[in-house]
Amino acid sequence: MSATPPFPGAGYPDASLLAPAQDPAPKPKRTKKIKATKVVDGIEQEVEIEVEDAGGPEWGARETLKVLDKELQRVDGPVKVSGRAVYTHDVRAPGMAWARLLLAPVAALKIARLDFAACKAVKGYLAHEVLEAEETRWLGQPIAAVAAESSEAAEDCLRAIVFEWEARPAVLDRESALKPDAPQVGRRGNQSKPSVRGEEAKARAAIEAAQFKVSATYTVPVVHHACLETHGAVVDWRGGDAATVHCSTQVTFGFAGDAAKILELKQANVVGVVEHMGGGFGSKFGFGIEGEAAARLSKGLRRPVHLMLTRKDEFRMAGNRSGSHIEASGGMDSAGVLVGFAARAHKHGGLGDGSLSGLPYIYKCAESWSEISGVRTNLDASRAMRAPGHPQASFATESLLDELAYAAGLDLLEVRKANLDDKVWHRQLERVAREVGWFEHANRTRPGSGKDELCVGIGFAISRWGGGGGPACEVEIAIERDGSVTSAVGSQDLGTGVRTYVAAIPAEELGLPLSAVVAKIGSTRLGNANGSGGSVTTASLAPAVKHAAWNARQAFAEVLAPLLGCTSADVVFADGHVQAAAGGRKLSWKQACAALPEAGLRAKGTWQAHLQANGVHGAQAAKVEVDTLTGRVRVLHMACMQDVGLCLNRAATRSQINGGMVQALGYALLEERVVDPALGLQLNPCFEDYKLPHSLEIPKMTVVLDDEDRRAPIGMSEAPIVPGGAAIANAIHNACGARIRSLPCTPDKVLAALGKVS
Amino acid sequence: MSGHDARPETDAHDSASNETGRAARFAPSRRDLMRTSASAAAAGLVVPAVLGAQSSSALAAPVASAAETLSGEVEIELSINGAKQKLKVEPRTTLLDALRNRANPPLTGSKLVCDRGNCGACSMIVGGKLVYGCLQLAVDARGKDVRTVEGLQQGDELSAVQRAFCEKDASMCGFCTPGFVMAITHCLENHPKADLERIKAACAGNLCRCGTQPHVFEAALSVVQGGAK
Repeated sequence: MSATPPFPGAGYPDASLLAPAQDPAPKPKRTKKIKATKVVDGIEQEVEIEVEDAGGPEWGARETLKVLDKELQRVDGPVKVSGRAVYTHDVRAPGMAWARLLLAPVAALKIARLDFAACKAVKGYLAHEVLEAEETRWLGQPIAAVAAESSEAAEDCLRAIVFEWEARPAVLDRESALKPDAPQVGRRGNQSKPSVRGEEAKARAAIEAAQFKVSATYTVPVVHHACLETHGAVVDWRGGDAATVHCSTQVTFGFAGDAAKILELKQANVVGVVEHMGGGFGSKFGFGIEGEAAARLSKGLRRPVHLMLTRKDEFRMAGNRSGSHIEASGGMDSAGVLVGFAARAHKHGGLGDGSLSGLPYIYKCAESWSEISGVRTNLDASRAMRAPGHPQASFATESLLDELAYAAGLDLLEVRKANLDDKVWHRQLERVAREVGWFEHANRTRPGSGKDELCVGIGFAISRWGGGGGPACEVEIAIERDGSVTSAVGSQDLGTGVRTYVAAIPAEELGLPLSAVVAKIGSTRLGNANGSGGSVTTASLAPAVKHAAWNARQAFAEVLAPLLGCTSADVVFADGHVQAAAGGRKLSWKQACAALPEAGLRAKGTWQAHLQANGVHGAQAAKVEVDTLTGRVRVLHMACMQDVGLCLNRAATRSQINGGMVQALGYALLEERVVDPALGLQLNPCFEDYKLPHSLEIPKMTVVLDDEDRRAPIGMSEAPIVPGGAAIANAIHNACGARIRSLPCTPDKVLAALGKVS
Repeated sequence: MSGHDARPETDAHDSASNETGRAARFAPSRRDLMRTSASAAAAGLVVPAVLGAQSSSALAAPVASAAETLSGEVEIELSINGAKQKLKVEPRTTLLDALRNRANPPLTGSKLVCDRGNCGACSMIVGGKLVYGCLQLAVDARGKDVRTVEGLQQGDELSAVQRAFCEKDASMCGFCTPGFVMAITHCLENHPKADLERIKAACAGNLCRCGTQPHVFEAALSVVQGGAK
C-alpha cells in the first residue's frame, strides 16, 4: 500500500481502546509445502501449495481454510431466533424490583420542590433515590429513581412524585450559543478551543488561484444510536458478600467495579455479565447514571433491581452522534485535482465537544486548512457513534468534491481517483460503479436537469478506518476427555459475530467443524477482554483466540505424538481426526481426546501483533430515484466494496456492511433529533417521529468483500456507515440537480433545491 | 408510498395482507385511553371506564361482553403457545408485560422496545392475527390463542422460518429478531408463495437498527422456495 494515510479512530472515550496505528514489522519468511483444495477450471482438486511456516500461530493460506473465510451460521443464531437469548432486559431474579427514572423535561432548570410523600403512598412503592437535588443543565438529566414491586407500580410511583421547577436560561442551538450575551453552558464557556490544521492564508490563496472554485456550508443533524435494547442494568444483590450485575454495555470489564463500590462489596465478589446485548453503536460504555441508580436502589433494598430506560428516556439521555456546521471552500484544477481546501467547522455535541474527522477527510490536498471547534448547548453530551466524526466529514467533503467536479465538467469517479494515491480505493470505486451501472449512466459529468417526473442519479463516497488491535484479551481453550472443546474469553458480542469467531478460530486450528467448539463470552469470570468500540475487537481478540488455539494444538500434539509414532510437529489435525503427517494410525477426535488426563487440557493465548493488521478501505455507490413532483427520494441500489483483511466469517461481515449502509440511508434521508428551540423539549423521542429505515426503504444491496486484500484480520464495522450518507446526497443531485447541503434530505428540501417551494 | 412516512398502505395483493403489515398491528387500543384517564392509577387502582360500569367477579372467565369492570390485580387464564396458564395481572397490564414479567416462567422472547406500537419487537400471533403485544391488554387476550416466538419450535427443532434466519444470517444483535420471525411466520402461514414485495410489506412494521433486513428478506424467500410449512 503506497502512502498509507493515518487511519484515525478518534472520538472514543477510552484512548486505550484504540490500536497503535502501525503495521507489524515484516518477519523473515520460512515456507513449507502443504496439500490444499483449489478450484481449477471449476473443479475442486487437491494441490500442493507453499505456505509460510513461521513456527508459530499463523492464519495460513486462504485456500487452505476450512472454517474461516467461509459463510458461517452464527453460533448464537438458534437462541436468538427462538427468543431464548437472555439480554439484560430479560433477566428475572427472585424478588426483583422494577425501577424507573425521573428526567429533566427541559434543558436547564432549578428544582423548586421534589416531594416523595405521595410516591411513597403508592401501592407497591419500595424505594427512591434522589440523583439531583438542586439544578440540572441538560435536557434529560436524571433527577430521581424509584423502585416498586411491578413495572406498572414503578410508573405510578414516578407519576406521583411532586416535582416543581423553574426553567433556567439555556442555549439550544449554535446561533444562540455563539451570541456574546448567551447564557454560559458551563465553566468552560460555550465554545471549545479550535483545533487548527494547515495555514489559512496559503489555502485561501490556492483556492483563489484555482480554475474552479466552490464555497458552501454543509450541515449534519444530531442523530441517535437508537439501540433497540435501551441502556440499563439489573443489579442482583440480595444481601451477603457477592452480587451479579447484568448490564447492556459494550465493555464487559467496565462496570463491576462501579457496582462493587456502590454495593460496598469487594470487586472480586461482583460478577459482571453481558451475555447478549441489543445494540450499542458506541453509546454503551460504562455503568452510566442508570446503572449507578440501580445499584443504589439495590443497596438500600437488599433486593435485585431492574432498571432499563424507557424508549423516551433513551432518546433523551443515552447518547447521540454530534451534528456539524461546516463552511467549506475548495479549488480544483482542470485535471480534477483538489489544489486548495479551507473549512471552518463547528461540532454540536451538547455539553460535550462532539467529533469531526479531519478535513478534507480522506482526499489529499496540497494546501488545506481547517479550524474545528465544539459549540456547547444544554443538551446531553454526544457519545461515540459508529465511526465518530467520519460520516459528518464525509458528507461535507464528498459533497464539495462533487460540486467542484461538476464545475469543472469532469467525471465524478475520475475526480475521486485523481485525489487518491492509494490504489485500493481506485479498484473499489470502479467496482461499486460497475455494480450500480455507472458506466451506462448518462449523468457522469453533469447532473440531470430535473425536468422528468422521476429522475435517477448515482453518487459515490469512500471510507477508511483503523481497525487494528492491541494487547488486552486472555483466551482459554479447554479440551475435555470426551472431546468437547470450549473457547472462553470475557469479551462481548454486540451482534457483530464475536461469539461465532471465538469458536470458529479454534475449530479451524484443531481441524474440527464449528459445531464442535463451544464459545463462552460475556462474563468477568472469564479471561480479560477490551471493550468493543472503534472496531478494535476483532484485531484485539482474534489473534489471542488463535494463539490459545495454537497453544492447545501444540500441547495436544505432545500428548498424541507417541500414540501416532511421530514427532509432535508432525501431528496433523484435520477433518475431525488426528494422524501423523506420514500417515499410519488415524484417530477420531474423540478417540484422541480419550488419551487426555481426567482434567483434560487447558491452553491460554494472548494478543500477537502479527496476527492482525490495521487500516481498512471502503467505497460505496448509491443509485436513487427522485420524484421531482413530491420531493420523495427512493434509494434503488447501494453497493459497498470493503477490505477487511482475512475475513473470519463472510456471512456476518456482509451483515455488518449491509447494516452500515442501512444506517447511512437513515442518516441521509430520515434521521434528525428535533428540539424545540424555545422550551428545549425533544419533539421526537419515539420511533414514530424519529424515523429509522424499515423494510420498504431497503434498496437492493450489494456487498463485495475485497479479496485482493491478503492481510491478517482487521476490524471494519465502523467503515461501512461512513460513505452512504454522502453517496445518497450526491446521487440526489446527480439525478435532478437538487444539491442538498443539509442532512437529512427530506422531500421539502428536495423541492426547495429544485426551486419548487421556497 | 412516501419514503419519509413509510407506514404501509393497503397493498394491492388482497385484503388478507392487511393482517401482515404494520397497519393491522397498529389497530387502536384502549391502553392510551386508560393511561391518560387514570389519575387513579397512582393509587394502584384502575377503573377502565371504557370497559363499562358493571362489576363482575368471574374475572377468569372469557370476556362475555364489554360490560365488565376490572380493578386491582386480577387472575386471568391465558392460552399461551397451546398451554393454559393462570396469571395475575392488572387491567392495564399489556399482554407483552404479562408474558415478560408475570408469566411463569417469564416469556421474554418478545421484546419491549418502544412500548407504543412503533417497532414490532413484540410481534406475536393472537387469535390468528399478528399483533403488537405492547398494544394489547392481557385481559383482552382471554379466550384467544396466544402464540409467541417461544412456541414456534417443536421440541429442539426450529421452525423452517427460524432455520432460514440462521442460515441466512438474519440476526445481528438479535433484539428485533423474534419480532421479525413472528411477522415472517405469520406472512408465510397465510401466503406460502409470498414474493419479495409481500415479504417486505409483512415486516414493514418491524424496526431493526443493525440493518438485518436484506438477510431477513433472503431468509423468507428461501423458505418460500423450499416450501414453507
